[in-house]
Parts: sequence; structure tokens; C-alpha cells
Amino acid sequence: MAAGERDVSEVVLKDTRVTASEAASRSAVLKRLRLTDTIFHGLTRTAALTVLALLSGVIIALVIGAAPALGTFGFSFFFDESWNPVTEKFGALAPIYGTLVTSAIAMLIAVPVGLMIAFFLTELCPKVLRRPIGIAIELLAGIPSIIYGIWGLFVFAPFVQQYFQPFMIDTFANVPILSTLFAGPPYGIGMFTAGLILAIMVLPFVTSISRDVFDAVPPVLKEAAYGVGCTTWEVFRYVVLPFTRVGVIGGFMLGLGRALGETMAVTFVIGNAHHVSASLFAPGTTISASIANEFTEAVGDLYTSSLIALGLILFFITFCVLAMARYMLMRLQKQAG
Amino acid sequence: MTMASASTPTVATPVAAHARIDTAGLAEKITLRNLEFFYGDSRALKGISMSLYANKATAFIGPSGCGKSTLLRVLNRMYDLYPGQRATGQVLFDGDNLLKDDQDINLLRARIGMVFQKPTPFPMTIYENVAFGIRLYEKLPKSELDGRVETALRRAAIWDEVKDKLNANGQSLSGGQQQRLCIARTVAVKPEVILFDEPCSALDPISTAKIEELIDELKKDYTIVIVTHNMQQAARVSDFTAFMYLGELVEFGATETLFTTPKDKRTQAYITGRFG
Repeated sequence: MAAGERDVSEVVLKDTRVTASEAASRSAVLKRLRLTDTIFHGLTRTAALTVLALLSGVIIALVIGAAPALGTFGFSFFFDESWNPVTEKFGALAPIYGTLVTSAIAMLIAVPVGLMIAFFLTELCPKVLRRPIGIAIELLAGIPSIIYGIWGLFVFAPFVQQYFQPFMIDTFANVPILSTLFAGPPYGIGMFTAGLILAIMVLPFVTSISRDVFDAVPPVLKEAAYGVGCTTWEVFRYVVLPFTRVGVIGGFMLGLGRALGETMAVTFVIGNAHHVSASLFAPGTTISASIANEFTEAVGDLYTSSLIALGLILFFITFCVLAMARYMLMRLQKQAG
Repeated sequence: MTMASASTPTVATPVAAHARIDTAGLAEKITLRNLEFFYGDSRALKGISMSLYANKATAFIGPSGCGKSTLLRVLNRMYDLYPGQRATGQVLFDGDNLLKDDQDINLLRARIGMVFQKPTPFPMTIYENVAFGIRLYEKLPKSELDGRVETALRRAAIWDEVKDKLNANGQSLSGGQQQRLCIARTVAVKPEVILFDEPCSALDPISTAKIEELIDELKKDYTIVIVTHNMQQAARVSDFTAFMYLGELVEFGATETLFTTPKDKRTQAYITGRFG
């Protein structure tokens, strides 16, 4: 054994001895490599800086475009419900409200359902079903939003109008807060329907990210939890979920970002009314739906500028959501040590 | 008793060479009768029959893939988590067959605790790691729970190191401390049997020594089953040792006897380091 080891070390030493001619050719090769390396460095840096330039370009363009509207209406732009192209009086309250409410409905439904699907897929699902369900979820993410819009308007909204909304209105007619939330004539289209459609659209994001992070939980950790006598629910609630919270929050924020900015499907089913109403069944509008709907008919400068200001607000909201997500992830990671 | 006989697919029950065990004063805690285990179609355990005695430590040794860990996972039905794995035969736990279908598995796992190869602290505080298992089965007032947590941590010989930082995350401890925390967690549930699956293989020598000392201490109250790759460890901590090879129980006996005068040639070859 010892003799064998010595042999190996001799071979290594022999190889590292460098002759003069070898050294020369080697430095030539190194010089060539250094050049390619410099070019590569430059390219990567340019690509990275382009992103910064694009981002600031978009912000600057939005701010310049929004300046006339914000200058005319001042702060009241954010708190004014009226949106009147004839008198040229614009306020962003209704679209902001609609955006937040529809997104909230979407997340309230999509997150629990998505987590349940993900846990079922990773823990409980028989192997035969795992792939079909997984693929179905991914296909759900691949459906273009215009299709959700058409389906929502022609199939889903009438269904909601005929069955779901009357049921909810009747059921909660005498319950204090809920009777306000579920009030009014069942239009079919409205903030609630938009929220449902958004939930379906966001679901694949929440599900596939949660599934990936659940898959990353070490099996032995789950076994240890089962080992002290946990039920499946307890393992999910106390071990899997805390262990993966960073990833799950990431998925949540990604979904929320999508819900906030989603345009086409929402425009189809939300009713496009600039009203703030307490009832979820009432028609409303979102920021992106307003912009998409009205850009072609915005004739006055102030009208156009108001729409751009809406865009700036959406940009700001999305930015805040992402920043909050970053901050929460940072805190969680610090907590975990 | 040749090497060839081990690989021929005989269905007959291989009989382990048992050194005579003085069973006076020993109570059988777990009795295996003709236990067979299958991963799908492949047979991982072949007709294992033996007894694990109460308040004694029994070590399982053998080369990788011989079925020692599999056997351990049968004892707390951990294999149930995975489809396609099944066990036949009988495993009598206080006379009750724990392989039967209507066995309450969660309760069983609380009675037969397990410590894993790698430390597995839960993603929560040190205190919560220990209190967690207790809360699953008992509703205790805060003061009593505190007491139980402290007792468990003391039993696992880690109390002095963590008493000032009970609210720190369990995953912030060192590997050896994490492993002792896991032992505390297991002990806290008041199990009757504790299964150790190579508990020291990820630890440094000092932590290993601590854990071994601990196992020796825990024997007074619990029945210990330990799977190990380290024969010195088996010799140090166990009262009985079982040598397994290719899914068979080759030899089982008092640790001293097995290591000094093995009956089977394969056992002798393994403990003298000639294979495995």
C-alpha cells in the first residue's frame, strides 16, 4: 500500500515540472484566454447595466407622462372617485380599489387551494396521478389570458350570475357585514367574478412554486416528524410549512404580482365602472383594465396623462409588493440564522 | 453455512446461529417472528426471528445494504409512508402484533421513538422542538410543560448548553447539539423503545462519545435499538448484538460473546474486517 502511494506522488511531481518551451507556449495561451475573458466580462456587465437603464427609462417616461395629470389634480387624484372624460375630472380611487380588491379575492382563494394541491402532489398523491395533475397545473399557466377573458365573460359570468350570486345574496342577507359584501343585483360580471378568474390564473404559480419547495424538504425531516407521532396535517402545518415559508412567500408574491397587473381577462369580466362600492358583486374597474379600455378613446391631453398616472400608480404598487416580499424574505432568513 | 447459500434464493427460513443467551431476568419487549420485508418485488429482509429485550441495548451491525436500517424502519412502521413497501410476518410489541392493519400508527410512533442518522431539528425554537411532541398527545399547563421540556433536555445531556437560549432556532445549534436535541425530543414523548439509526455517523468524536454515554444512561428507562456501522460503538454501547448480511440475521447473541467467539464464519470475517 505504502509503496503504491509513493509511486503516485512521483508521477504527479514529474508532471508539474515545466520546461522552458512549455512555459512560453503556455503564456501565449493564457494571454489569449485573458482577452476572451475581458470581452466576456464586458458583455455580461453591459447586459446587466441594460436592465438598470431600461428600468429607469420606464420610470422616467411614466413620471413625465403623468406629470400634467398629477399637477392638475394634486393629491386628490389618489382619493377621488370621479372619472369624467367630458368635464375632464379624473381620480384614481376606483381603479386602485378595484385592483386591490380583486387581487385580495384572488389570493384568498388561490393560496390555500394552491398549497393544498402542492402538498397533495408531493406527499399523498399516488404515483399514477402525480404527473397528470402536475401537467394540468402547468397547462393552466399556459392558457393565454384572453381565453380566460372570453371564457369568463361567456361561460363563467353567466354561471355565477345564475347560481352562485343569488345563493350568496340570499344566504347572507341577514348577516351584518357579509350582507354588505354580497349585496345588490347579481350582474354576473363584477369585482367578485374578476377575482375568481384571477384566482384561477394565479393558482398555477402558487402551486408549482410550493410544490417545488415542498419537494425540497428533506424526507428525513418529515420522517422525524412522523416519528414523534404527527399526523399528516401536523407534519404539513408545523414542519413542512415553516421549513418552506421563504419559498412559499416567494410564490405568493409572484402570484400577487400577476394578479395586480393582469389586464385582459379582468377587463372582460369586471364591468369597467369607475365606482367604489362595498358590494363585491358590483361592477368595478382595475388600473390595468382602465388603461386598456380607454387608451384608444383618450382624446384630451389630461385624459391621456391621467391614464399614464394610473400606470405609474400600478408600477408603484407592484414595486411595493416586491420590496415587501424582499424585506420579509430577508427577515425570515435572518431569523433562521 | 457457506457464502454461496446466502445468495441462493431459497424460501426456507434461514436460521441464525444463536449463541446461548441467558434469558433469566430478561423481558421480551419486541419479538420478531419470521419477519420479511419487500421493496416492491425485492426481498430486503429474509425470515428474521429474534427478540429485543426490555431495558437493554441491542445493536445491529452489518455491511451497507444488509437490511439493518430497513429492520429499524419496520419497527415504527416508517415504511408505511412509502407505497410499494410491505412487511409480512409478526412483530410483537408487548405481545401485540404491530404489523396488523388497524394499528394506530401515530400512537405507535409515539411509543417507539426514533433518532435519525442526520440531526433533524424542526424549523422552530429549541423549546418548541421538545414541547412539540408533548403537545401532540398531552394538554399540559405551561409550568408543567416547562418542567417536562427541562427534564427531557437534561436527560439528553444538553440542558446546560441551551438553557439560556431556549428561544433560539433549533437549527442554529451545532451538529452534535442538534442530535442531542433530537434525542431530547424523542425522550420527551415518553416512548418505551428508542430506535437509533446510525446516530453518530454525522458527528465528531467528542459528540459521539457524549451520545454513547447518553445511550448507556437511557437504557435504564428505555429499550434501545441501535443500528451502527461502527463495530467499536456496537461493542461499547450494546448488551446484545445482531449481525446481518444480505437481509438475513446471521448471528445474534450477547455482545461480548458475539465479538469474542462468533459462531458463524461470516460474522467472524466481518468483525475482523475482512469484508464489508
